[in-house]
Order: sequence, then structure tokens, then C-alpha cells
Amino acid sequence: MKNHQNQLQYNQNIQSITVSLDGTIIDTDTNLFSWKSGTSIYDAHPFFEILKSFIEDDDPNNAEFNLPCIHFENDGDERICDVSIQIDSKQVLITFFDYSDKYIELNGIAQQRNESILITKELELKNQYLLEKEEFKNSFIANINHEIRTPLTSILGFIEVLQKTSLSFEQEELARIIQRDSQHLHALIDDMIDISKIESGKLKIVEERFTFSDLVDGLHESYSKIAEERGIRFETYVDPNIQEYLIGDRMRVYQILNNLLNNAFKFTEEGKIGLSITKNYQRTNKLSINFKIEDTGMGILEEHLDQIFDRFTRFSKDLQISGTGLGLAIVKSLVDKLNGEIKVESEPEKGTTFNIKLPFKFEVTKPTPERKKKKYTLPETKKRFRVLLVEDEETTQYLVMKILITHGSFYVDLAINGEEAIKAIERRNYDLVLMDLRMSKVDGYQATHMIRNNYGDEVISKVPIIGFTANTNETERDKCFRAGMDDFITKPFKREELIYKITKQIAKKAAD
Amino acid sequence: MKLSKKVVLLGHFGVGKTSLFRRFIENEFSEEYKVTLGVQIKKKVIQLPDGRELSMIIWDTEGHSNSVEDTRKSYLLGSHAFIYVFDLTREDTYKNLNQDLAYLKETYNKVIIKTIGNKVDLVSEKIAVKNLKELNIPFDCLTSAKTNKNVKNFFLDLAEEITK
Ligand SMILES: Nc1nc2c(ncn2[C@@H]2O[C@H](COP(=O)(O)OP(=O)(O)OP(=O)(O)O)[C@@H](O)[C@H]2O)c(=O)[nH]1
Ligand SMILES: [Mg+2]
Repeated sequence: MKNHQNQLQYNQNIQSITVSLDGTIIDTDTNLFSWKSGTSIYDAHPFFEILKSFIEDDDPNNAEFNLPCIHFENDGDERICDVSIQIDSKQVLITFFDYSDKYIELNGIAQQRNESILITKELELKNQYLLEKEEFKNSFIANINHEIRTPLTSILGFIEVLQKTSLSFEQEELARIIQRDSQHLHALIDDMIDISKIESGKLKIVEERFTFSDLVDGLHESYSKIAEERGIRFETYVDPNIQEYLIGDRMRVYQILNNLLNNAFKFTEEGKIGLSITKNYQRTNKLSINFKIEDTGMGILEEHLDQIFDRFTRFSKDLQISGTGLGLAIVKSLVDKLNGEIKVESEPEKGTTFNIKLPFKFEVTKPTPERKKKKYTLPETKKRFRVLLVEDEETTQYLVMKILITHGSFYVDLAINGEEAIKAIERRNYDLVLMDLRMSKVDGYQATHMIRNNYGDEVISKVPIIGFTANTNETERDKCFRAGMDDFITKPFKREELIYKITKQIAKKAAD
Repeated sequence: MKLSKKVVLLGHFGVGKTSLFRRFIENEFSEEYKVTLGVQIKKKVIQLPDGRELSMIIWDTEGHSNSVEDTRKSYLLGSHAFIYVFDLTREDTYKNLNQDLAYLKETYNKVIIKTIGNKVDLVSEKIAVKNLKELNIPFDCLTSAKTNKNVKNFFLDLAEEITK
């Protein structure tokens, strides 16, 4: 052992110490640490406490322990050593191998590795937190939607009713302003719902067959009117090579074009707005269509171009120009959803051009033409038809009653929940039931289910039922039909829509 | 003979072993993370309620990234207690706790084992406790090296327990 110690003494990075079994340092060099012979090793560093247990516990004749990578302080410096401990019956030999350089290098590597793992974890957590927040926000919007729509229904409805009364010029003007602002609010809510649906992935793209020219004609008709009023030109061009019937999400395409045209009209004071639709290419049953919307409006500064699809972005300080600031964000999201592309070019004072490419499918065999929105008239069997209104909100009650009674062809009875509705139906024959879906006690679905299934009398079980809902989502729509309703109306609704749907159902029933 | 006991801090990397060590011994804390390589050893003299004095020799080991079995065996020799620290904000650091505990109990059957959930300042204590109970994770104490919550008491209780 002594020999071994002597050899090691000459290496700068190695120190050897001999210690008696009671812990006194017998002999040492000072290559690494300046501990002195005659002092107790236990005062040198707490590490050496371990010797006690080694000496006590182990067979002292042949025990050897190796402990790598131990940190020792030495007059403020740190040395990282591997320590070898050999114990025999008389003494302990401790050898230190200073590998500080190697360990410091390793430490750097471990630092990087651990930190990068921790950072990824942290980002994951943050992401999760953000996702949860986003989800909460979206469901919040969807829920509050109901609460906002219901009072808005009555505001919009009552304005219509109000406008039909004799108003002074000033009152008429005020009513018009209330109507305009409420409609704006309505549009904003719709936009917010769309955005939250898109972002929460709840927006479903449907593939349906539709008449392409109808879609364009609809836009042409409504915007031509506006153009005329505003004294600007509105021109549409449709490539005659585009198929008559296309398969795609008609509603969403309409929404995109409507939003962009709306925008173009908002920012154009004079000149012309053009909608030009051309075919890009066609393969087997697929085709790509280009929609170009061009205006000669105020244009957008180049530095603003890449932000125009962000939410609530408005560059115009002109408060006369109303808008939710959500329109283009929705357009962009919808185009993405439809796997399309959108590009914008603009020059201030000259105008803006949007180019959108959207994919569609078409049927290779020629289908039978689709029916247009049919006109219905009330059958002449009766002078007045009896309608049961099942609704617990006073404002909607009043609004519907007013619309139907002023129309002149209806009697209206009122039930304030499903239970009362059932009682009323058992007492009297109705030509139609208008059923709110959310009510205390028996709700609209349950009541409909009972009417459809619990009665042998077909006058009761087959009465046309139209559901009232404040929700526009597809599940609610599906639920209405599954419960056995014939149709549904989303609040807020227009007088014409209510009358149209009631007339349609009564006419269909009479034709059966 | 002076009373002296060896206590080893174990657990995944980054859970706060060094921070608890520094908080208890020097009453200091740093937000900066400096990886421990190997082991550093320090002594804290503790006054026991019965008047005796204990030198607690604390070994702050390098954290493992998978299982406690990866910790160098030589560091665990002659221990009187193990403190297994996990990070309440990282499930990875405690999801295999029961396996690790089973291994330690089997291999070092005389050693007292304590488990600590650290960084309690970053989580809601209520939710954390519920979560740990659901996952069946045993813990003796929830601590924060940052706010000094429960650190001193934990070590003092441990000191009493290992000197009984
Ligand atoms: N907020 C908070 N942060 C803590 C707490 N304890 C430790 N940290 C932080 O967590 C990081 C890691 O702490 P360390 O004490 O170095 O962790 P360790 O377990 O010693 O890590 P290794 O030595 O790699 O095994 C550091 O940035 C600390 O500041 C705590 O109680 N609360
Ligand atoms: Mg550490």
C-alpha cells in the first residue's frame, strides 16, 4: 500500500491520505487539499463521515469503496474528484483523483440536456393552459350567444312592429337607427359565433349539390341594388364553362363572397366594383374556381396588407364605415377550411383586389334540376287557422302573437310550457304548433316527442310543429328533426320568414 | 460520541433537491437552475428537542432522468434516510414513484424513506393533493424551496425521527 502511495504522490491531480481508524490523518501529500497530518479527517469535510459507517459496518480486512464525482471545496475553489477508500485492520487509505475538467465539461452537457427538456415541458404546459383558455372562451361565446340572441329577437321584432304603426318623421328616423344598430349587433354576434366555431374546430364543412348560378345571381341581385343607390357600378362575370351544378359548401362560399363584397362596397365611394368568376382547371370530377373581387376604393397601405386577415383589424379611422372587424378574419379561416387560397393586392387611393381559389366537385352525369324555393299559399278550406304558441318568454310571445294576429289568417293560443301545451292540444284541434325548445318543466323536444308518440288521434299526432331556437348549430337542428319537428326557426327571425314557414307547413299538411 | 446521520436527497433532475438543500442549510434560494453533477455534501447541526445535537450530513445527488436505480449505488451506502423529491408541476417526476419506492425499500430495508412534493408555490395545493391521491402517490410533505414553505419543519421532523 505504501508503495502505491509513493507512486501517486508525483501526479499533480492525485492526492493520497492515510487515516487511522479513529479518523486522525497519519500521512498526506498536499497536491489537491491542504489538510494536515495530526488533525481529524472528520473536521476536513462532511464527506468523511461516511468512513464511520464503513469502518463500523464492514469486514475491515478487505474493504474498498469507490465514489465518483464528489464535490469538495478548497479555499473557495471547487474540485470534483473520484474518491477511492481502502480499509484494512489498521488504517484507511483515501485517494483523490481530480477530474474537475472532465466533470465541468460533462456538467455543461447535462445542463443543456436538462434545460432543454424542462423548457419543452414548460412550453407544453403553457400551450395546454392557452388551449384550455381558448376552449373556455369559445364555449363561453357559444353559451352567451343564447342569452344575447333572445332579447335581440324581441328588439328586432318590435322595431318591425313599431315601423308598421303611424310614426312621426322623427320617430321613424329613430326607429331606423335602432334597427340599423341592432342589425349590426346581430351581425357581430353571428361573426363571433362563426369565429369561435372555426377556432374550436366545430365548424363542419358540408358537401352539397347546388345551382352555381343561383348563388351568383343572389349576390348580383342584392349588390346591384346597393350599387344603384350608391351611384357606383357593379359588374359580374361568370365563366360559361363552369358547370351548372357544383358540389361544395354553398353557404360558406356565399359567406366568403358576401363578406368580401360587403367590404368592397364599404370602402368604395365611386367607380366600380367587379366580381369575376373563372374556371382555373378541371380534372375528372374536380374543378378549381377563381373568384376575383375588385374595387376602386380607398385601398390598403402595403405595410397593412399582411395584417388585414387578423381579427378586429381596421385601418380606416372613418367611423362612418361600420364593421365588426371580423369579416376578413372569417373569410380567411373559411377559405382555409375549404382548402382554398386567398390573395390580396392593393394600392392606396386606387383600389383593392382579392383573388380566391376554391376547389369544388361536380357530378359527371347530368342531374335533374333542383327545385327553387317554392311559393306556398294557405289552403282555402278555412278563413283562419289555429296556431298554438308554446313559449315562456313574454317578449317572444307578444311578438309572435302580434305578427300572426295582424296577418289576419290566424288565431293564436298560448301555452307557457310543454305540459300546458299537451293539455291545450288535448282540448282543441290545432293547425300548427310553434314550439320553443328551451322551457322549464317539459321542454320542446319532450313535448314534441309526446305529441308524436302518445296519441292514436292523427289530428293530434300529425300536427305540424315548428321549433323555435336561439341556437344556429347543426346539432340543435338535427335534434329538432329527430324529435319529430317539421321545421325550425332561428331567433331572431323576420316576419316574412315566420309567415312563410307557417304557411308552408299548413299547405303541405293540407296537400297530404 | 457525536450524533451524526446521513441523509440523501434523491429524485428526478430539476425537481429542486439542490434548492431544498441550500434553503435548509444556508437559507438561500436562486431561480437559476444549475445542474448537480455527482454529489455535493454538507453538514447541518440541528438542536434536537431533547437537548442533543445532531450533525445531519446531507448528500445532494445528481437527479436521474428515468428511475432512481440510475443513481450511483455508492452514494447511498451508510444512509439513515432517503428524501425522494418530486416536482408537483411535472408528472414525469412522480408517475413512477411507487416503483422507485419499492426498489429502495427492498434494497435498503433499514433506511427511512420520505417523499416530498416540491414547488408547491406553483400549483394549487388543493388540486395537487387531489391529483396525487387519485394517482395513489404517497407524500409526506409538500414544500417550496422558493417560499420556504415546510422546508425547515420537514428536516427538523426528520431529524427527530432518525435519532429516535
Ligand atoms: N417556483 C419554484 N421553483 C423551484 C423550487 N425549487 C426549485 N425551483 C427551481 O427549479 C429549478 C431546479 O432546481 P434545483 O434545485 O437545481 O433542482 P435539482 O433537483 O437539484 O436538479 P438536479 O441537480 O439537476 O437534479 C431551479 O430553477 C430552481 O430555481 C420551488 O420550490 N419553487
Ligand atoms: Mg441539484
